[in-house]
Amino acid sequence: MRRIPLLVIPTALLLAGCATAAPASTPTPEGPLTLSNCGISLTFDAPPERVVTIKSTSTEMLLALGLGDVIVGTAFQDGPVPNEWAADAAALPVLAERMPSEEVVLEAAPDLVYSGWESAFTPDAAGERDELAALGVASYVQPAACQSAEQPAKLDFDEVFREIAEVADIFDVSADELLAAQRAELDAIEPVEGDLTALWWSSGTDTPYVGAGIGAPQLILETAGLSNIAGDIDMTWSPYGWESVLAVDPAVLVLVDADWNTAQKKIDYLKSNPATANLTAVINERFVILPFASTEAGVRSVSAATSLVEQLKALDLP
Amino acid sequence: MTARAGVAVAGVVLAAALAASIVVAVTIGPADLSVGEVWGSIASHLTGSETPLSVLRDGIVWELRLPRILTAAAVGAGLALVGAIMQALTRNQLADPYLLGISSGASLGAVTVLLLGVAVLLPVAAFAGALLALAATLALAGAFGRITPTRTVLAGVAVSSLAAAITSFVIFWVATGDAYREVLSWLLGSLAGARWDAVAIAGIAMLVIGIPLTLTGRILDAFALGDTTAASVGIPVHGVRWTLLGAGALLTGALVAVSGSIGFVGLVLPHAVRLLVGPGHRALLPLSALTGAVFLVWADTLARTVFEPRELPVGIVTAIIGAPVFAILLARRRSEA
Repeated sequence: MRRIPLLVIPTALLLAGCATAAPASTPTPEGPLTLSNCGISLTFDAPPERVVTIKSTSTEMLLALGLGDVIVGTAFQDGPVPNEWAADAAALPVLAERMPSEEVVLEAAPDLVYSGWESAFTPDAAGERDELAALGVASYVQPAACQSAEQPAKLDFDEVFREIAEVADIFDVSADELLAAQRAELDAIEPVEGDLTALWWSSGTDTPYVGAGIGAPQLILETAGLSNIAGDIDMTWSPYGWESVLAVDPAVLVLVDADWNTAQKKIDYLKSNPATANLTAVINERFVILPFASTEAGVRSVSAATSLVEQLKALDLP
Repeated sequence: MTARAGVAVAGVVLAAALAASIVVAVTIGPADLSVGEVWGSIASHLTGSETPLSVLRDGIVWELRLPRILTAAAVGAGLALVGAIMQALTRNQLADPYLLGISSGASLGAVTVLLLGVAVLLPVAAFAGALLALAATLALAGAFGRITPTRTVLAGVAVSSLAAAITSFVIFWVATGDAYREVLSWLLGSLAGARWDAVAIAGIAMLVIGIPLTLTGRILDAFALGDTTAASVGIPVHGVRWTLLGAGALLTGALVAVSGSIGFVGLVLPHAVRLLVGPGHRALLPLSALTGAVFLVWADTLARTVFEPRELPVGIVTAIIGAPVFAILLARRRSEA
């Protein structure tokens, strides 16, 4: 159990040679906020004011809560932000295209590093969490992405909304409006009928890496009324053999569009490969495409489900 | 029964075991297909008649399982064969087909396609990488005087290290998201992507290079006694050595291009066969090839079924089996000596 008092002037600033220090501020009237994040106890005496975000989920979470001003640097973003925040996002300094080094992170003099992946907190990336803490920099992992501890047993929207509320608490802002909008959008989703099977293909080619049973892909597929063929695997994502895909012959193929593995490349592979070319979904072109940034748990999860349902309705389904 | 007859019998038995392995392995897999359905499908393809299965289920047998198993057989045979040859040519028991930087060069070629997106077919890039690494090894070995086996091995180590370092650098620099997964699968060795084009590449390489190589046993036996002895028996030592090394490297390059760098097959299987039939290469080469084929067919069957529907790269299975087997072989050698 450790406390991370944000009022302490970080030694890191001396190391990095920067001049500015985090301004001292009084605790909020309710007192310090304590919470557990991937098994590590965090205490926030005051809302963080200088945040480095790693991966898109964290950046977009803060933008959605109207906290774009606190972001002093972003790293390893997964793609363009949705249009509604594009103007805010354009001004954000980019620290690194991929995982930033610890020195680069510290140079930005953050008091919080908020990452969408737990693997950012390793020595060859942003630095280990206790080391950052000793330097006065708090670290926060998107709870749905925790792997070392406290991984959600099965992600549901209650957890997604809880995480949004938790981030809002940390920054002492209200998430009510955002959550109301998200809940309204979620309630408006009409799941597709017929309990159709679907494969969520994220990356990999010879052995596809697919959305499995307990993470965001499963949640989004279920919300849309689809049945995930890899849904009984007790992981968030998992490798999956093509033979098993062919044996089940899913009705729909959900293809994740990432810079390093585009949806078009996936479609080309499916069509050109003699084994997969005969899949019913390939012959009938039942492809649904989702951008990678929306496929990890966060503020875009509801809209991913909405988009999925919309695209399904446009397809020629059995 | 004479020794030669014994070896011939062993060869026939192994060939039969290989045929049986292929026949059985093609019926094993995550999809629920009966033996009759599988063989009905294959028979229909061979005779040109209509398949009894749905197009998709037929595809499982004919487009996924069968090419993969055939590729496994060809790759396993080739790797074990070249491993035995390398061990003889370099007179080094720890030699394997990847000795001359071949697998590291092929990995680098594969990574340029998988990560840098160079628009070349993966097997072509991997093969080109293997050849470049071989050329670099030979150039380095020859740069400081007469090429000797030791110099060649050391040059191979240097080139391997360099190629591996560049490969790692590219992975670190470029790999976003989980793109590293594809590369890792290739680096460990995987047959998941083996279709009929892979069968063609591996099969033709084995036919054109592998089969002639299995017949070089007498020459390798002479090599085992030393260069001078081999020369005195009338073998043009330098020419033969480089021909065999070159042919072995070409074959390995072709195999690695379709399967990635599968480890332990080339290193361990010749030793295991040597334990059974002795060091004579006229028996060792063909029997190693057959044993390698059977081994890899079953290793790949394990890799694609033991955790189904998930799949392991076959290189993990060969390492898990190969490492303890190698330890046992080492222990036996020590007790013999």
